[in-house]
Amino acid sequence: MVEFWWSYAWPTIWIVIQILFIVVPLLIVVAYLTYAERKVIGLMQLRMGPNVVGPFGLFQPFADALKLMTKELIIPTGANRVVFLLAPMLTFILAMVGWAVIPVDEGWVLSDINVGVLYLFAISSLGVYGIIMAGWASNSKYPFLGALRSAAQMVSYEVSIGFVIITVLLAVGSLNLTDIVLAQQDVWFFIPLLPMFIVFVISALAETNRAPFDLPEAEAELVTGYNVEYSAMAFALFFLGEYANMVLMSGMTVILFLGGWLPPLDIAIFNWVPGIIWFALKVSAMLFVFLWVRATLPRYRYDQLMRLGWKVFLPASLLWVVVTAGAIVVFDWYPGVVN
Amino acid sequence: MAMLDRNARSLLLLEIAAGMWLTLKYFFKPKVTINYPYEKGPISPRFRGEHALRRYPNGEERCIACKLCEAICPAQAITIEAEPRDDGSRRTTRYDIDMTKCIYCGFCQEACPVDAIVEGPNFEFATETREELLYDKEKLLVNGDRWESEIAAGLSADAPYR
Amino acid sequence: MPKVTVDGVEIEVPDGVTALQACEMAGKEIPRFCYHERLSVAGNCRMCLVEVSPGPPKPAASCALPINEGMEIKTDTEMVRNARNGVMEFLLINHPLDCPICDQGGECDLQDQAMAYGRDGSRFHEHKRAVKDKHMGPLVKTIMTRCIHCTRCVRFATEIAGVPELGLLGRGEHAEITTYLEKSLDSELSANVIDLCPVGALTSKPYAFVSRPWELERTESIDVLDAVGAAIRVDSRQTEVLRVLPRLNEDVNEEWLGDKSRYACDALTRQRLDRPYVRRDGKLQEASWDEAFAAIADKVKASSGDRIAAIAGDLCDTESMFALKQLMGALGSSNIDCRQDGAKLPAGSRAAYLMNTGIAGLEDTDAVLLVGTNPRWEAPLVNTRLRKAWLQGGAIIASVGPQTDMSYPVDNLGAGPDTLKSIADGLHPFAETLRNAERPAVIVGMGALARDDGAAVLAAVRALADSCNLVRDGWNGFNVLHTAAARVGGLDIGFVPGEGGRDVAGIVSGAGAGEIDMVFLLGADEIDMSGLGDAFVVYQGHHGDAGAHRADVILPGAAYTEKNGTYVNTEGRVQLARQAVQPPGDARGDWAIVRALSGVLGAGLDYVALGDVRAAMVAANPIFDNVDQVTAADWDDFGEPGEMGTDSFESPVDNYYMTDPISRASETMAECTREFVAGDGGRAGTDG
Repeated sequence: MVEFWWSYAWPTIWIVIQILFIVVPLLIVVAYLTYAERKVIGLMQLRMGPNVVGPFGLFQPFADALKLMTKELIIPTGANRVVFLLAPMLTFILAMVGWAVIPVDEGWVLSDINVGVLYLFAISSLGVYGIIMAGWASNSKYPFLGALRSAAQMVSYEVSIGFVIITVLLAVGSLNLTDIVLAQQDVWFFIPLLPMFIVFVISALAETNRAPFDLPEAEAELVTGYNVEYSAMAFALFFLGEYANMVLMSGMTVILFLGGWLPPLDIAIFNWVPGIIWFALKVSAMLFVFLWVRATLPRYRYDQLMRLGWKVFLPASLLWVVVTAGAIVVFDWYPGVVN
Repeated sequence: MAMLDRNARSLLLLEIAAGMWLTLKYFFKPKVTINYPYEKGPISPRFRGEHALRRYPNGEERCIACKLCEAICPAQAITIEAEPRDDGSRRTTRYDIDMTKCIYCGFCQEACPVDAIVEGPNFEFATETREELLYDKEKLLVNGDRWESEIAAGLSADAPYR
Repeated sequence: MPKVTVDGVEIEVPDGVTALQACEMAGKEIPRFCYHERLSVAGNCRMCLVEVSPGPPKPAASCALPINEGMEIKTDTEMVRNARNGVMEFLLINHPLDCPICDQGGECDLQDQAMAYGRDGSRFHEHKRAVKDKHMGPLVKTIMTRCIHCTRCVRFATEIAGVPELGLLGRGEHAEITTYLEKSLDSELSANVIDLCPVGALTSKPYAFVSRPWELERTESIDVLDAVGAAIRVDSRQTEVLRVLPRLNEDVNEEWLGDKSRYACDALTRQRLDRPYVRRDGKLQEASWDEAFAAIADKVKASSGDRIAAIAGDLCDTESMFALKQLMGALGSSNIDCRQDGAKLPAGSRAAYLMNTGIAGLEDTDAVLLVGTNPRWEAPLVNTRLRKAWLQGGAIIASVGPQTDMSYPVDNLGAGPDTLKSIADGLHPFAETLRNAERPAVIVGMGALARDDGAAVLAAVRALADSCNLVRDGWNGFNVLHTAAARVGGLDIGFVPGEGGRDVAGIVSGAGAGEIDMVFLLGADEIDMSGLGDAFVVYQGHHGDAGAHRADVILPGAAYTEKNGTYVNTEGRVQLARQAVQPPGDARGDWAIVRALSGVLGAGLDYVALGDVRAAMVAANPIFDNVDQVTAADWDDFGEPGEMGTDSFESPVDNYYMTDPISRASETMAECTREFVAGDGGRAGTDG
């Protein structure tokens, strides 16, 4: 009994507790991301943003959640019920499981696997399935068009994201995310790999279907695309998934380019601050960029989107892989050797 | 050279940076939004809001059933019926405004020779049913009593420009 | 034919016209308030000023200025404009600025002319004068402060209506139009002063504050409340007739209209039959058209043609009578009559039942004999013509029958048939007067004909016409004055008993004796309903009057403002009344009801539209083709001499204001009856 407790039950419970420690703050972050989005965009448009529910409108996310939960879930007659209901769950779950490998501080990670980058890459690529399923299962024109756009868009930008990650990997020499962060102790990768950083950030916008690449849900053309037919909690799950993905992509950017939980300078005052605070600050900054971009740029046309992905980012990132690899070979900067 | 310049600009994302800079500046600017139900913006004395039928200070209703407002109303939202009152004076027996037809052009108050029908400063008269927007004389007179001080202030403020 | 120059254009004008008329002929508009074509010239408003040469260098009032050869008139010079501007300013000094509460607003001469000829602002800062309002009866409302003293009303009352009860007292600032003793304006033409008044001083009391002219829909129609057929304009708003105004028709009513015709329109919304009724268990109960028709069909099937009868009333359009006549023919009945008062008028000879002289022609008469009629109450607009003949032509007018005030001197020769006979036989001195007159006329009324000895009276009048030489070359002085608008039309289509058929008296007595099973009353209310016994009575009409109370089945019809119909007036003029509003509720046009009933009875008339009925009517009697025309009747033989009774002639109208179902239902007419007929006429306005 005792053996069972210590070898099976407790580890399971411990893992569940750890998961809860990740997921619950994550959901709160997501909730406040929606609030922050409305607030930031509002302020940039000389408006106030939500300010009625609670002080400074801080309870707005809960009001929204309550509203969405109490609404009626409508399943269209022609929809494939199973897939229709599966799609939002899939999107949401995929956005959550990515966090299993994200180190928020040294050693603060649920699963410190050696192929963390690949895992993340795989998980974020799977996200497209939720959208395609939703678009198809809705059995409706606009969702279907939105889903198709989404699939094409994600596939296109994943190619360049892949190359960007390869350049980082070349510079680190490891697929372990903790290793990647630790490799940036001297200099954060966004400085030497600045073009790749920019390509990655822009691609992250496309990958998360955010403005200016929010064509899958383009309100003006597709009346919000793949989630037209969704309501109540199903819609909320999509919503949560999308915003969790934003947080995930921001976290990835921070780990790959902005030194993860590392303080900006290795000096006493900065070192007193716990790493998770630095990580959170960096993620918040990235998220602010997401919102800032949305407040600034208009939506791309679809052909512009494709042109940018295939004819600009792909050659550029490919070139930079070659340049990076060449530099490493020529100057003998093999990772691990440098240190 | 021009081509180089153009390509450099787009490669360095100068325009996007400029745009982002602009929005960031706005982010910190003071906001123009007013907290509407608790704060209200200023209203011109000529503001054309909800209609009201006014009374004279002695309580006598002003409207004399001349029907000029009914005649001028471009939306034909006003319906008036009249007959002599017991004291022989000319008064309406029915004064209806269909607020769902009204286009708030203010012609009725321009046409009124006795300043009886006016469009007051009230713009918060949304209702839950359509029927509530079919105003009758009683409702209009109540409006007039409720808003008289504001209406009178508006009229006197605007008087020098008429 | 003098030649004058108006604004540089030379025209030739008839002798004796005024400068104003000459300008009108030249197409120049001259503003005016006091001048009116049908009234004497007063020349007191000064609005019609023009510049005339040769003449003194000052503006001249054109309405009172006779034309001279070679006169040059200028209507649009600086002087004229200034003069009119000044006159208008003076007129407006004491005119209150109360257009918004004035019923004349929108159709006011002063308003229009102030816009055209006046200044844009007032320079008058002193107090305006105020005048006490006068009581002029239940029809005319006075707001005397608005009066501009044009005296049109005074001249109308004195000259046209013949009731010199209005006048102008005082001078200058203190001038006032008044009724002297605060008496009502006791004339059946009193309301015409409202039309004449160029401002809002005299307005319509029943119509007070009801509507504005721009809200009204105007329909040109024909009045049917007497047999004159005056041209009227029906002003309606949505489903309601709000007022009736006269229209210009020189041949019939000039531009006047009797008070009854003008004000009975308030009854068009009262006591209306707006749905079919069927009497069940002794009570009239609401029914559908199908039920009503089925109830009639049951009775008709259970009866035979000679036991069915139809009576047409006084307000029926000719089309419905024509259709009903055909229906009765198809059912095998010849018991039809349109003379519900029992007037003994032959349908065959048209000259025997027409006013052959014509209404306008009466103006030219120089000797008139009235037989059993009081035209003032039976046909006020005929009376104005007689008054004009007396006033302008010095006609000698005498009467046999009731002695009443007819607004002109009438020599009452006697009361009954004896006097008539003595004139016809040439024994009476008035026979000589008639014989010596250039244009003599006799007017015989229903009071003389609607009697048991009516046929003999008609023959006696015919004999008088022959003996006194009333019918001459180009002149026919034999006149019948009807009181019912439908009568001449009914006689023209032959709505009279056929071979072996019963007339009205026969039908009523037959029904009382059980020899008639069913009586169809087409708007007939004036017969003795109690005499109908157990007969099954179908009443088709528009007002709940005597006929509807007695009826077993009520078919709701349309009043004259609600249908298109043909009427023939007392002089034989075919005129069209036009629909102004929809009939109330389930009510329908009358010919269409008869048509629908014929289908249920299996005696189908094949009319689809009103035009079909009219075409059939024209085929039956070509006079119906001459709309708005009088077709002169041949002076053929008529009249069966017989023994006349000794009863004196009485006018059939003992109350001008209530003669038919419409006017009996009218509140305004009831008030007029109280005021003028029941003897309260002397009541002062202050008695209140």
